Amino acid sequence: MKKIDKSKLEDLWGRLAAEQDLFLPVQQDSVVNFALWQEGSRVNLEAVNSLLPPKDLLFPQSEKIFSYKRREGELSFEEAPGSGPQVIFGIRPCDVRSIELLDPVFFKEPADTFYKNRREQTTLVSIGCLEPDTTCFCTAFGIQPLDAEGADVMLYDMGTAYLVSPRTEKGEKLAEEMGELLEEAAGAEEEGLQQQQEAAASAQEHGLDLDGVFEKLNDMFDHCIWEKFYRRCLACGTCTYLCPTCHCFDIQDDGSPEEGQRFRCWDSCMYEDYTHMGHGHNPRPGRRERVRNRFMHKLNYFPKDHDGVYHCVGCGRCVQKCPVNLDIMQVIEEIGKEGVGGEGHDR
Amino acid sequence: MNLTEKMRQEAAQILESKEADLVIGWGGGEYYWQSPPLFLEDAAGAAELAFSPFIVNNLAKYLLEELESHEKAALFVKGCDTRGINRLLQDHRIQREAVLLIGVPCAGLADREKLKAAGYDAGLLQVERQGDSFILTLEGEEGAREVPAGEFLLDKCLECRYPNPLVYDRLLGEEVQKPRERDPMARVREVQKKPVDEKYAYWQEKLSRCIRCYACRNVCPACNCRECIFDQNAPRWVGKANQLSEKQNYNIIRSFHIAGRCIDCGECQRACPMDIPLMEINRKIIQDLTELYGEYEAGIDPTDVPPLGTYRAEDPAGFSER
Amino acid sequence: MSVAKEGFEPLIVAFCCNWCSYAGADLAGTGRMPYPANVRIVRVPCSSRVNPSFVIRAFQRGADGVIVAGCHPGDCHYHSGNFFTRRRLSVLRRLLEYMGIEPERFQVRWISGSEGAKFAQVMTDLTADIRALGPNRKLRDAL
Ligand code: SF4
Ligand code: SF4
Ligand code: SF4
Ligand code: SF4
Ligand code: SF4
Ligand code: FES
Repeated sequence: MKKIDKSKLEDLWGRLAAEQDLFLPVQQDSVVNFALWQEGSRVNLEAVNSLLPPKDLLFPQSEKIFSYKRREGELSFEEAPGSGPQVIFGIRPCDVRSIELLDPVFFKEPADTFYKNRREQTTLVSIGCLEPDTTCFCTAFGIQPLDAEGADVMLYDMGTAYLVSPRTEKGEKLAEEMGELLEEAAGAEEEGLQQQQEAAASAQEHGLDLDGVFEKLNDMFDHCIWEKFYRRCLACGTCTYLCPTCHCFDIQDDGSPEEGQRFRCWDSCMYEDYTHMGHGHNPRPGRRERVRNRFMHKLNYFPKDHDGVYHCVGCGRCVQKCPVNLDIMQVIEEIGKEGVGGEGHDR
Repeated sequence: MNLTEKMRQEAAQILESKEADLVIGWGGGEYYWQSPPLFLEDAAGAAELAFSPFIVNNLAKYLLEELESHEKAALFVKGCDTRGINRLLQDHRIQREAVLLIGVPCAGLADREKLKAAGYDAGLLQVERQGDSFILTLEGEEGAREVPAGEFLLDKCLECRYPNPLVYDRLLGEEVQKPRERDPMARVREVQKKPVDEKYAYWQEKLSRCIRCYACRNVCPACNCRECIFDQNAPRWVGKANQLSEKQNYNIIRSFHIAGRCIDCGECQRACPMDIPLMEINRKIIQDLTELYGEYEAGIDPTDVPPLGTYRAEDPAGFSER
Repeated sequence: MSVAKEGFEPLIVAFCCNWCSYAGADLAGTGRMPYPANVRIVRVPCSSRVNPSFVIRAFQRGADGVIVAGCHPGDCHYHSGNFFTRRRLSVLRRLLEYMGIEPERFQVRWISGSEGAKFAQVMTDLTADIRALGPNRKLRDAL
């Protein structure tokens, strides 16, 4: 296997950035988010997870679809410019998995061309997690904290260097760009890797068991369990905006009769107007229905349509940032405790 | 009897005697820093209540929705929270008879970020207040460690002027003596000193992070309009596009809407997932109102009139009156 | 944030209360007192009708300067509207400055219906000030 010395990272980034847009976790105040790399960026590869997931780089919080202008009665349209190649460097395995979960949503015919174009031109360089954060529970979803199956290049932190393992054609191409910055790794380092892998797989202490959760939820739509959770919710949608797998959007216009744009932007099932119909009816009239929808979507509706795969990757962002501690781990646990068809099914 | 037990006993007794048909308090969680708001209709649930140095959620705003389906709600309130109660009373959004307030004198709450920065987070199981210390219960051999509480208090608690509830029906425990240790306006003055373009750049950096989740609005006891302008579609006052100007627009207007009404509780900044120093904006307004129209603290006296709700003919102006 | 000032024609939005300042503008017109064509007047019933969102939106949509003009204190046709305006917009003006907007760009003035000359003068001065500052790029995104 090849490796790259950490002292050469700046050189590497300079080189990659010359060929494509390079995004890295960058620190600003207490916040680490993916940002376009520039010389002097405060890169932070130690923070386990960025505050906002990198999904924004494939599915931006808002993106122009087209703009229009009317000049002397002539109406003209301009399509949004296409996107170019990009590298997301330092993405964690849970977030790589989240992209694998977004793919079928946006690729399903008719495919979402905005997402598809970006996705096809994106190379994912993932860094394995040696030490999970206290709220990480990706292993509950079968994710290997040290190994992202969907990464194009996998990096393993060996202290002073990263082992570099290209996985795909795109990954090989990127490794070529790295050129002489890569060196041959020693056998001992590769052995160290194996130990790391074992340690990382058992480092998380969540003790969560997803077994049966999907099946139980099949008939928990009217269960009283939701009463327990929804009342504290502030309907801020932080849990969905920070979630790497949430993907709902809205389409809006902005401007005047003379000029303006149509764009799409993130939306959230936690918001009142999300299902507010034109004629005034709202099938999810309150927070009870909205909170239920969020968990049902993650743990039941999505798996129903996607071979039983849950729509959560255990990144822990919502757990960290929900201002009222509505903790999805606790929700999963409580659902797990309910007997199928038992008490509480008729509220 | 410790505070947790007192809270439980109080809640159980209120519900049993039907003094109120709802109790809102704080529960516990898996993590030492969790303190989710808890809603109880039945005395048996009282055992879930838990006091900890993380009971930061101001529960006042829940009254708006809960009182639609309950006759009387009992609520646990810290000093700062009671200014939120006064806010809602003053805005005629709740009736005093519909709430039963159980005051909790507050010696200050713990800041998880400060604990983290000092290396306490992973392996920390519990934090308890004991006199001037926090007792940290740690995983593993050491067991417990005592640290000075002052080093780990929330900034807002260091800046707090009202640790004791201003309005209550019952008090749990003794009133505390807690002098204000920090000047809340220090940051405002620092930002204010910057030249105008630097101020712009400063706020550009901070506000460009805003994802417009509106958590800051939703948590705020002063933001209690029945329909918020930010939710209106026609006209749309603030566009949904992820653009800096819309974020600036939102944040300027949000803070302006609570001008003279903000109770300085810091909940907006706490709820903000993007670590935007919203209190530096809110307090700028508090400072200017005081400078222009006289000392005023919102949420102290529910019968007074906030400064933007009144005027005097001889008021000074913040612009040229030539 | 100043950009090339050459050939720059500022766009100024003036919110004028119907009873005084708008009448003042009228008088300036009938009295043939010239004032710059850069000023676009939006008539409002009273200066207190001006919602801070109007001001922000004006900047967002391209204004280089915004002015709110109303009756002199004591003369408001709704009795006390402009007393509230005075408090509100004083706070808003300081807030905008705090957020990094040059205070020159947002003005409030009292102009009565008989002050046509004052109207013309205020608008002329304001236009000159803004021209000197250059185009506004703040609180603004390209669509
Ligand atoms: S639901 Fe929460 S833990 Fe799961 S992927 Fe989304 S943010 Fe992460
Ligand atoms: S982050 Fe918490 S409070 Fe906000 S919408 Fe999600 S669950 Fe509700
Ligand atoms: S601000 Fe004051 S009352 Fe509020 S939590 Fe802190 S010390 Fe307690
Ligand atoms: S809570 Fe923070 S991120 Fe959310 S809208 Fe308010 S300022 Fe923006
Ligand atoms: S603006 Fe912030 S500090 Fe002021 S009352 Fe609202 S939540 Fe509290
Ligand atoms: S009518 Fe002119 S300011 Fe009120």
